[in-house]
Amino acid sequence: MKPRHLLATALAGLLAAAPPALGQALFWSTQAQPIEETQAMREMVLKGFAGGVDYQAADGGPWLTRLQAEVAAGRGTIAVLGGLHGDFASVADALADLSDVDVAGVNANMVALGRLGGAGQKYIPWMQATYLMAASREALAYLPEGADLEALSYDQLIAWARAMAEATGGPKFGLPAGPRGLKHRFFQGFLLPSYTGSMVTAFRSEEAEAAWEAMKELWRWTNPASTNYGFMQEQLLTGEVWLAFDHTARLADAFNQRPDDFVAFPAPAGPKGRAYMPVIAGVAMPVTAPDPAQSRALIAYMLAPETQIATLRATNFYPVVEVGLPADMPASVRASGPAIAAMTTAPDALPALLPMGLGALGGQFNQVYVDTFERIVLGGQPVRAVLDSQAEELRRILAEAGAPCWAPDAPSEGPCPVD
Amino acid sequence: MTAGSSPAAAPAPAAPAPAADVRRAGRWLFRAGVVFLCAWVLVPIYLLMVNALSAPADVTGFPKRLVPGFDPGSLAFFLRFQGVAEALWNSVQVAAVTMVLSIGIGAPAGYALSRFDFPGKGMFRLLVIMTRAFPLPLLALPLAVLFIRTGLDDSIVGLALVHTTLALPFAVLITFSLFSGIPVELEEAAWTLGCTRLQAVLRVVMPLALPGIAASAVFAFVISWNEVFAAAVLTIQNRTLTAFLLQSLDVSPLPLKFAGGAALVIPALVFIFAVRRYLFAMWGIANR
Repeated sequence: MKPRHLLATALAGLLAAAPPALGQALFWSTQAQPIEETQAMREMVLKGFAGGVDYQAADGGPWLTRLQAEVAAGRGTIAVLGGLHGDFASVADALADLSDVDVAGVNANMVALGRLGGAGQKYIPWMQATYLMAASREALAYLPEGADLEALSYDQLIAWARAMAEATGGPKFGLPAGPRGLKHRFFQGFLLPSYTGSMVTAFRSEEAEAAWEAMKELWRWTNPASTNYGFMQEQLLTGEVWLAFDHTARLADAFNQRPDDFVAFPAPAGPKGRAYMPVIAGVAMPVTAPDPAQSRALIAYMLAPETQIATLRATNFYPVVEVGLPADMPASVRASGPAIAAMTTAPDALPALLPMGLGALGGQFNQVYVDTFERIVLGGQPVRAVLDSQAEELRRILAEAGAPCWAPDAPSEGPCPVD
Repeated sequence: MTAGSSPAAAPAPAAPAPAADVRRAGRWLFRAGVVFLCAWVLVPIYLLMVNALSAPADVTGFPKRLVPGFDPGSLAFFLRFQGVAEALWNSVQVAAVTMVLSIGIGAPAGYALSRFDFPGKGMFRLLVIMTRAFPLPLLALPLAVLFIRTGLDDSIVGLALVHTTLALPFAVLITFSLFSGIPVELEEAAWTLGCTRLQAVLRVVMPLALPGIAASAVFAFVISWNEVFAAAVLTIQNRTLTAFLLQSLDVSPLPLKFAGGAALVIPALVFIFAVRRYLFAMWGIANR
């Protein structure tokens, strides 16, 4: 009796399976993955779109596989794609041209990034963020004498981390150097350009050597568990670290939960300036979108000022169009907003853009920096030898991609050179 | 042995002192082992529950309190999260269909392997396991293309077919050893009494094998319940709970991770608890 009963239940379940909801636009995104953010995207940001939006956040792997499958099958359900610049770089052929979308209000540099090195507009900038430093109140007591939080240098950061480690008996500085952490952005966009004024060209210069020596010194006073960290807000909240570097969206929870206990401030400066890297997320339309008119309407909706402000509340990513921010923003926005402004408008500010024109090789490009870190800092190999051998790999990638230099490196004819 | 030679041996003159010591040590070791194994299973579940039921501030705090603060905030957020109920229902459906399919196909295969000799038998056993040799992310793309073209995409049955493929090797091998453990003489006796081959299987072998088959069905259920990648690629509107939550949980704040972990673990625990009798029964058969 029992197995038959089970079978009947299963069959009943099969018949009861609801047919897929029609009419809603499927927004297939790698962004706003934490469930609170997904919820906020649905309830605060996308609710106003006529016809309804089904917002689905996915990991990079399933996101890409699903998109490729729909393009290969020639039939799709995805209406709009959301992702970082790097997510789109490897799938340019799957994206429809959006040149006719009005992007008048958006920063021209960002719009240019959205062409992915080709002629058509492959994605439209959607929101932006960057990386910041965050410190708990306890950490401030050990700030080196004469150091200004708004204008910190890497040497002062090292001294600070050291002072905390020596006073408390354990390292209190943390980097997101785990598998899900964004450490490569720290090396590409912050540490190296601050010392060399370059991300690529001066990769194996003497200045770069000095940068990695500084990194080794900083690592001495860094919590060694950093190789497991992904979202520094967690370690800040538990008190495991007092001072950290991370993406603004990955620090937000610390400010939101205990706004009075943490401060945000700009990334440190090196001899060549205060380098920082912006993060840009975009929206795009796959060539297989079921209803292109609806997709375009949704993309235009994402750029509207009210949507942009709602997106900031939901995801801690800032608008890409000019908007006046209301006063009642979340604590994380109130904390990181002034720090971002201080960093980007500092007299020594040095913007280091996301890699451009690398296409599918973006992952390998990042790996060069991660490998360099692991060999020099974790493996203790000699700096000069590691830089020489990793420079070969970097050269190969840039030549294969044929990518010319991007800021802060000087524009180049042909592939960006590694001196 | 002379009386009074050793005070310790006096109460049990039959056993010399060293033997008693060894036996006592063995008992102690046995108890420690039991405690250790119980802790191995229970402590993580306990921590999960405590943290799922605590207020966010307590989750990051240390030391932990023994009894949670019973702040349902995190869990309540979870249940309100749009689509959790549907995803849970989808998961149950997919797992149930997977269970039925993998036993429906796997048990006859296991019976054939244990009772018949046919050319290529060894190769067949190897090939069955080969379905687990390829990582799913590799197979997901061609599968998804095929599913979109055939209309199986985003359906309960389609995903259940994939999960059945994953669960089948275990179903075949578990039922194979199960049927091998039931003496063929029982079947032969049934034949001499007028049963056909099929009747003998249904009336004699099945009742003996049923607990074990139920256990391997539980296994299929759990495999389907836990599978993420295929579910994330092959379903969009009809997501399963794991596909729906696991990716998001990975990057969510700690309190929600615990709440979500509890939401994923509890249904599977309840299910296994409900069918535990069959699981124990299978062990009984294996030990015989």
